[in-house]
Amino acid sequence: MARPRIEVLDKNEVLEIHWRTLSVLSRVGVKVDHAEALKLLHSIGAEVDFNRKIAKIPEHIVKEALAKTPSSIRLYHRDGKQFIELMRWSTYFDVGSAGLYYIDWRTGEVRRALTRDLAEVARVTNALPNIHLMSTALVPSDVPDIIADRWRMYVDLKNCTKPIDTGAFTLEGIPDAVKIMASILGEDNVSKKPIMMFAACPSSPLMWSDLTTQNLMDCAKYRVPVHIVSAPQTSATSPATIAGTNVQVNAEILAGLVIAQFTRPGTPVIYGVSPTVFDQRYGTACLGSIEVGLMCATFTQLARFYGIPSAGYIMVSDAKTADSQASLESAFGALIAVLSGTNIAIGAGMLLEENGISLVKLVIDNDIAGLALRFGRGVLVDVETLAEKIIEEVGPGGLFLKYKHSREWWRKEHFLPTLLDKKTTDMWKKSGSKDLTTVAKEYVEKILKEHVVEPLPPDIEKALDNTMLEIAKRYGIEKLPQV
Amino acid sequence: MGKMSVKEELIKRLKEAVVSGDPEEVSKIARKIIEAGIDPLEAVEKALVAGVLELGDMWVRGEAFIADVVAAADAMKAGLSILKNDIAKKGKSVKYLGRIVIGTVEGDIHDIGKSIVATLWEASGFEVIDLGVDVSPQRFVEAIKSYNPDVVGMSALLTTSMLKQKETIEAIKQAGLRDKVKIVIGGAPTTEEWAREIGADGWAPDAFSAVGLVKRLLGIKG
Repeated sequence: MARPRIEVLDKNEVLEIHWRTLSVLSRVGVKVDHAEALKLLHSIGAEVDFNRKIAKIPEHIVKEALAKTPSSIRLYHRDGKQFIELMRWSTYFDVGSAGLYYIDWRTGEVRRALTRDLAEVARVTNALPNIHLMSTALVPSDVPDIIADRWRMYVDLKNCTKPIDTGAFTLEGIPDAVKIMASILGEDNVSKKPIMMFAACPSSPLMWSDLTTQNLMDCAKYRVPVHIVSAPQTSATSPATIAGTNVQVNAEILAGLVIAQFTRPGTPVIYGVSPTVFDQRYGTACLGSIEVGLMCATFTQLARFYGIPSAGYIMVSDAKTADSQASLESAFGALIAVLSGTNIAIGAGMLLEENGISLVKLVIDNDIAGLALRFGRGVLVDVETLAEKIIEEVGPGGLFLKYKHSREWWRKEHFLPTLLDKKTTDMWKKSGSKDLTTVAKEYVEKILKEHVVEPLPPDIEKALDNTMLEIAKRYGIEKLPQV
Repeated sequence: MGKMSVKEELIKRLKEAVVSGDPEEVSKIARKIIEAGIDPLEAVEKALVAGVLELGDMWVRGEAFIADVVAAADAMKAGLSILKNDIAKKGKSVKYLGRIVIGTVEGDIHDIGKSIVATLWEASGFEVIDLGVDVSPQRFVEAIKSYNPDVVGMSALLTTSMLKQKETIEAIKQAGLRDKVKIVIGGAPTTEEWAREIGADGWAPDAFSAVGLVKRLLGIKG
């Protein structure tokens, strides 16, 4: 079966971007605002200016780091049994991450997110078959900022069984996250069966900050999956051209890869991007632009060229509410991700300048993801699907419906969306003439009313609660919201 | 509760075979039912008809697809053709809820919708005479004269052929037969308003609603 695929760059173009990247890394270098990392880079042969904190990394080190990097990653559900496998052309869909605002599906009101909002997002995600990862989608404002990063992980784990895309915004974030993971699957499984992946974001152009470098090195030390996410803005923090942005971002990611692999060889790294188009008319960083699709597709090609799992923020829309724009931008993104073979397509449910989560959009995105995945499966051609026998049997003017072949293959061949309307006009009118947004809202309500998340075993839940309480206590925080 | 009797067991299995759309299995059990001396009319009602209706309910709930319903109806027909002989042998006859003539109107050769409706009417206990596709107004008139049906059903899939529904009703009126039959119409482009406009007695948006529609028109409960 010829799987439908797109490759935007040809082989020579990929090589050209690779060579230019190596040239930038060795001639321009990257700024690393982290003393230990600079020392490390120096020790392995990089040319380091400790005053300017610039490290120029020679080609051979980059190649060595690439050779140490695993080519596949398994991310586990919290039961330690089910997993998703990041490799080759497989695509998994992920909720958009770290929004400050919740777009309340009941009222449409946009407000600072609370713990119970994140719990809602997690429960709905748990019920959606085409959304495979839960992110720490919202930053709850009802806990002190200092523990908000770990609190998000805790809320997710209590309300969703799927692998978690998260990150730390404190220096203690990763070591504490490791404790949280250990309370679920035991210390031995923290790196053997990781249930979370952690974002570490370089700052374009060509910088690694103190905090993110620390997070990166911590992930390497504990050997847990690190998701490097570079987020350039074309024409502002990266060249206006896509190829130029490819070169610069690739350099940022490979610099991180070098730090991770020389901190500890074999660290699982996800080659991630959140490229934006800087819209000079409004001064906005746009994620729904079609060029973002081109960038995600080309970065995915680079990741595959290196044999590293890939991720891209490709389903975020620039719309401010779950309207037609929200669906169409995410639909292009989902299809591009699947056809390019981006391993993690991120951004389901996300709107509002990458800062708000809408459950209405999330459930629509579940259908969009399903459609894209179905297209990606392509067309199965064999004796049975060619169906010559059945065509002969039915004959001219006959009806296929009653045959077993039709019953069996209709199910197998087609994706049936949950929300998209396929009824007759009359049936649609009789069921209330509802548009997609209304149907989606009702579906959210139904999930929250009916869906039961498999509870954690009592002893594990207790261990998790204790770990979180100890973290909070360390900061003198006694009162926490109900989860 | 004691063990299920042979009769209950066979009727249950017959119904299950109808629901799973398996004509071979239905034929096999239908023969066993005759051998066991079970009342064939009861088997028709409690297994064959009940099986198709159960699938119809499943379709309404979104638990089955149209192909499953059609397969069940097909299995039901296979069973009926065997049990009918036994019913006739016993000097009885299948009691139909009513007689319906159906066809796709002139200029239209779309068969699917019409056939599904015909199948479901049959499955619900009606005697159906299917005139096929591209049926002229004159043929509808002749069919009313020769079959004396309770209901006439007209299908049209095209906006152009839809107009023939009106023409056919006019022809039935001119032949002085309008009061003898109820007329129902259906098909993708048709609407309830259209049905009223052309003087039909009823319209249904889908095949299952068509069953309820004719029952209502003929004053049949359930």
